[in-house]
Amino acid sequence: MNKKIPLKQRLFRISHLLFAVFLLIQILPPAMSKIRGKTELAIADSAVHAVVFMAAVEIMLIAVSLTVKKRETLVLFSDVSAFVYIVFIAWTLATAKFNFISEQLFPPPGIVLRQVITDVTPLLGHISASLLLIAKGFSLACVTAIPLGLVFGSSARFGTAASMVSKFIGAIPPVVYIPYGIALLPTFKTVSAMVIFLASFWPIFGGTMNGIMLIDRNIVNSARTLGVRRVSMLFDITLNAALPQILLGASQALTVSFILLTSAEMIAARNGLGYYVKNYSDLGNYTRTIVGVIVIGIVISLVFFAFNRLQRFLLRWK
Amino acid sequence: MKNKIDISGLIVEYGERGGKNLALDGVTFSVPEGQFVSVVGSSGCGKSTLLYVLGGLCGFTGGTVLIDGKPVTGPGSDRGFVFQQYSLFPWMTARKNVMFGVAQVRRGYPRREIRAVADEYLNKVGLTNAAHRYPSRLSGGMQQRVAIARTLAMGADVLLMDEPFGAVDAKNRVLLQELLLDLWSDETKRKTVVFVTHDLDEAIFLSDRIIMLTDSPGSVYLDIAVEFPRPRYRDEMMKSIVYDDFRRTLFADFFGQKEKKIERDSFII
Repeated sequence: MNKKIPLKQRLFRISHLLFAVFLLIQILPPAMSKIRGKTELAIADSAVHAVVFMAAVEIMLIAVSLTVKKRETLVLFSDVSAFVYIVFIAWTLATAKFNFISEQLFPPPGIVLRQVITDVTPLLGHISASLLLIAKGFSLACVTAIPLGLVFGSSARFGTAASMVSKFIGAIPPVVYIPYGIALLPTFKTVSAMVIFLASFWPIFGGTMNGIMLIDRNIVNSARTLGVRRVSMLFDITLNAALPQILLGASQALTVSFILLTSAEMIAARNGLGYYVKNYSDLGNYTRTIVGVIVIGIVISLVFFAFNRLQRFLLRWK
Repeated sequence: MKNKIDISGLIVEYGERGGKNLALDGVTFSVPEGQFVSVVGSSGCGKSTLLYVLGGLCGFTGGTVLIDGKPVTGPGSDRGFVFQQYSLFPWMTARKNVMFGVAQVRRGYPRREIRAVADEYLNKVGLTNAAHRYPSRLSGGMQQRVAIARTLAMGADVLLMDEPFGAVDAKNRVLLQELLLDLWSDETKRKTVVFVTHDLDEAIFLSDRIIMLTDSPGSVYLDIAVEFPRPRYRDEMMKSIVYDDFRRTLFADFFGQKEKKIERDSFII
């Protein structure tokens, strides 16, 4: 254990109090369901899932609190769990305890959690279907947009023309390609991949060209005086110098890709996270709709977490 | 001794169509092999332009520029260039920067050998312990030391230095000047150095000869030998009466030229 942070500071945090509050409100009598006795049982059953989940969060928080080295990380973790506790307290009170919102439209947390557990296998299938499409479209955009950006950005004349064109095409919201893509291409998967590709291409292409145009004169002159050859100039100097802007473009592209993917899946897919949400809300199964929304949030956050890690590694020299 | 650098009637114009501006107007001088020459002048006099022409980074309108009797057509590994700042590649560590330079002149050599050369020169500039650091984690003075190590490690005969210590604090500037002199005199075959600066004391301490340029457009105003024996020791040098006299005349020339220009300018108005 790290000695710099005293044990008292590690364990005496407001989050634990909130956890206790969450446990206490479970004792409150459940809202009497106006429909059938069966629903009441369901609520009591679901409370177990919520309590188990919260306990897992609490155990994780305690484990992190005891092992973490930096004070900032400790504060961050306990604040985030405090936020989770507050959301769950409010959610439980509004649904299971006071029934402010119709249970059919907005089920209590335990029911949603139970649904996640029952649906784990299909959910993993939908997640991998969605991620595969993103990976296809996005990586195709990377391998085409970066080399083309390097070629066009290296020439002042073509570069200016290309950035005009890319501004025009980049301004078109890529969602509008979806209906035409469906008419044009054989399968829904190719349509999604194409739309994601089109949407990712322009930010990455623009970022690459921008990066080249922003290269410091000193760096270029310095490389020239070293006698760097053409190919090496492109790969060892230009590409590296433009990397921060390329990554900026790629992160924009990734954001747009997820928006498009889920929209496209809602329109025409037979699987994927967007389909999961749309399909179950059409069927009136709002528990699963909420599950889908939360899972989409988690998946996208994890992808961006990984992307930021990669970015930090690639730009560790900054 | 053979001339390493021959410049005659060098004219550099800049500015696009219509507004033609003269940066250099008929600069003529030669530098024998192994000489340390400082080019001084106030900012905007074209001394950096002169160096960029020698480095092949900047074209010229008229005159001839010869290195080893051959006309300059572009940058080449026969000349090493040290810029004022920000010339290291920020995505490479200090060692990688030097290695990258060495790899440009020793193509096809095993990495191990290139690394050994790089480490040798990093050691010479006293940065062995900082070899793994990125430029952003080095002070301005340390970055310039890496830049010097890179240039020396490449083994060019001619060193072109554009106010290399201009952006370094006063204390480090003195240390770097001494380091540069040590490195220069240690070489078995002394390099020909063209050192651009606006610091007259720096020029006197370092060089065999000082060339002073007139204000824009630049041309040679004064070409004077600095006849202090080497090795030079700053304290002793500064105490000597000869140094004092020399410095005074040089400063008088430097500022006298300015006053003349001011008179001329006011006359025009």
